[in-house]
Amino acid sequence: MEASLFAKFYNYFLLVVKYVSCNFKSHMEYRGAFLSQVIAMFLNNSVWVIFWVIFFNRFPVLRGWEIKDVITLWAIAASGFGIADTICGNGLEIPRLITRGQLDIWMLYPRKLLPHMLLGRMDATACGDALFGYVVYIGFVHPDILHFIMFVALTLAVALVFIGFDILSGSLGFFIGNSEALTLELRFAMITFSTYPLNLFDGAVKIILYTLIPAGFVSYLPIQALRNLSLTDAFLTLLGGIGVILVGSTIFHLGLKRYESGNLLEMRN
Amino acid sequence: MHNVVHLDNLNKVFKLKTGSFFKRSEREIQAVSNISLDIPKGQSIAFIGPNGAGKSTTIKMLTGILHPSSGQASVLGLTPWKQRDKLAYKIGVVFGQRSQLWYHLPPGDTFELLAQIYNLKKNDYQKRRDMLIERFGLSSFLDIPVRRLSLGQRMRAEVAASLLHAPEIVFLDEPTIGLDVIARQELRDLIRQWNQEEGLTVFLTSHDAGDIENVARRVIVINHGQIVLDDKVSQMRRQYLASKVLAVKFHEPPLSPAISGISILKSSQYTLKLEVDTNIIPIEQVVNEVLKLGPVADITIENPPLEKVIAHIYAQGNKLAPDRNDNET
Amino acid sequence: MKHNYLQASAKYFWIAKITMRSNLAYFGEIGSRFIFLAIILYIFMCLWRVTYTDTGATYLGDFTFAQMLWYLAITESIILSTPDVSQKVDEDVRKGTLSIHLIKPLSYPLYFLSMTFGERIVRFTMNMCVGACVVYFFVGPIGLSLKGILLFSLAIPLAFILDFLTYFTIGLAAFWLEDTRGLRIIYSRIVMVLGGMLIPIELFPDFVQPIIKVLPFSQIVYGPAKLFVNPSSQFLFTLLLQQFIWVCLLTLFMQYIYKLALERVHANGG
Repeated sequence: MEASLFAKFYNYFLLVVKYVSCNFKSHMEYRGAFLSQVIAMFLNNSVWVIFWVIFFNRFPVLRGWEIKDVITLWAIAASGFGIADTICGNGLEIPRLITRGQLDIWMLYPRKLLPHMLLGRMDATACGDALFGYVVYIGFVHPDILHFIMFVALTLAVALVFIGFDILSGSLGFFIGNSEALTLELRFAMITFSTYPLNLFDGAVKIILYTLIPAGFVSYLPIQALRNLSLTDAFLTLLGGIGVILVGSTIFHLGLKRYESGNLLEMRN
Repeated sequence: MHNVVHLDNLNKVFKLKTGSFFKRSEREIQAVSNISLDIPKGQSIAFIGPNGAGKSTTIKMLTGILHPSSGQASVLGLTPWKQRDKLAYKIGVVFGQRSQLWYHLPPGDTFELLAQIYNLKKNDYQKRRDMLIERFGLSSFLDIPVRRLSLGQRMRAEVAASLLHAPEIVFLDEPTIGLDVIARQELRDLIRQWNQEEGLTVFLTSHDAGDIENVARRVIVINHGQIVLDDKVSQMRRQYLASKVLAVKFHEPPLSPAISGISILKSSQYTLKLEVDTNIIPIEQVVNEVLKLGPVADITIENPPLEKVIAHIYAQGNKLAPDRNDNET
Repeated sequence: MKHNYLQASAKYFWIAKITMRSNLAYFGEIGSRFIFLAIILYIFMCLWRVTYTDTGATYLGDFTFAQMLWYLAITESIILSTPDVSQKVDEDVRKGTLSIHLIKPLSYPLYFLSMTFGERIVRFTMNMCVGACVVYFFVGPIGLSLKGILLFSLAIPLAFILDFLTYFTIGLAAFWLEDTRGLRIIYSRIVMVLGGMLIPIELFPDFVQPIIKVLPFSQIVYGPAKLFVNPSSQFLFTLLLQQFIWVCLLTLFMQYIYKLALERVHANGG
């Protein structure tokens, strides 16, 4: 039983590798455009990193946070987000797949629908984000090997949070006629709140940031984990990621029942 | 147990919410109503009907995408909407308008990915792939990105991809849509050969009468969600596809035709449109007669559109073929 | 009689409905702008409230807490109203529509300027109305005077023209480059950083401030926004002078590039 579970996991891992390589090859057909998108993301993210450098040059400490912490926060958020949409780029497309009836194709494969469908696409700008986080973390913070390993693990856990949130916000498409705008706004809120230290915000907002818009699992716990090399905080981050994924996939499967009943038909065409 | 597909009183009702936000009303649409059907192994059937007749809804229920409102179905001994993952290993599906090939990659790359998705063993996969490449004539464009292939090449690769995991039944939803005459004929031949030589069960939807004549042995016509005809294609050809439409343009005003077995649909100074009943008079004889009427500038022969065939079926008050198992296999 | 009356009114309801629907797209944009600005400005408010509290200062770089937020609302509105001049010029160059424009009896650069200027004014005004509502809700009013608004509206046109000149020239680069998107992104991010979109120039390191203040980027974003929260005729005068000098320099540069581009059109026949 254990062996078969491991075999299953390994099998899906091979599938992930295959999809990433297909996606990458696909992007390499237009390597110029791909490269410029990666560079664009670097430049874009640099704007905020430069802002923080200027800010902390004036005000060296902000509620106990130093420049190193905020840069680490940016690195983790960018890499986590980037990894999520490099591997599971279709997460961003869920509302469109639903409203255009394109889940059909994914339902005809002998694989678990949700994870398999998520693998189907890779976002080129996300590769830039993923890379940016690592470059900035190594370049700015100069971590030792222990911190670096912790950083890698945390970016993976944070990627889970973002994948879960993509599923969650995308699944609104099952319930609301045209959810694309709302989904985009929710994602914007999630990404923006993820890139500012959590302790800037009041208690009530903090509750929202651990529930509705789970940015707290990006902008606080991972930083605590790295600062104190605290396994508890790292574990809580992972738990958050798994939690968001569970909630997201529950809502997705509830919505899928509506899709299978065909009563969403009103919004197609 | 010879039946690959068994449908028993299958129904699908959609609830449609219509109207504006303030005046919401719910309307029920019976997309498929009480369809019962058996398809023996190795048969090739054409499932036809006008747009909105319930063709895609039926295919979606047979492949497990949609749940029926009531009724039973079994495909290869599985209930599609309950055992979708298991069924997926055994069926192949081609949607004419939705590709499973990767647009920016050569077809070969998609094949590799499919081998991984379906967990095909390396040796089996390579043998199967090489055979498909040869039979479908893919070798010349296997390494060219799909976006640069012609539509005909693309559809051939598409059908080959759906056969890679050796399915026992293949569903083809409007596979020839948009293809030119030659590509269309090539694809029909391939599908027919595969059905006859490999014993593959073929379930084809189309609204092109040519697809039906060239691929299928049995034809099922549905309209408004109901089966209105279930018969051998040869029988249907005699009864309903017997009439052809002949449109002729003349350089000079023609004489008026006096040929038995034809009726004049339209006639103007230089043109003539005739309906020919080929049970009474062969088409070449009609053409010969028409040539005598005056100097001909242009001439076309067409099958009647499907809508007309269906109207014809209704007009004859045709009941469902009573002995469905009597079909050729 | 009653029947007719009903029919007539149904017709007008129908017209009203169609009109509303055709404007819905516009309202939709305001809606998403509103959410965008509300989130951004809320986060900025939290960030600067903590900063003002922790430092115990009333003024940070000449700005009170409320002024700081109004400043940021304006800079965001300016940046968000950036029109896609480069993309359009780039397209005209690649598709060859540029040579068609040359036949017409009007100057291509001026035609483009007038077109995008109008568009930007409308979009900027809309952003600013939304931003002002949000920031008013968060921190209340700052002392606005008629004079302040007047000075501000004098500084805006040259700022937009400055921005236009660069984007237009970048679009022309399509004659020589395979892809102008890279240049466009580099320029737009420089405007964000050196323009002071996220933080006023006064809070930059002291030694870079004089340099940044004479560069054109700060005159597009920082200058007008500062003038809005802290109106001063002296500041306006300096700003206008600097903007004027830069507009002249960049116009000369643009004209030069445009001339080279036209030579290419004539040499290749478009």
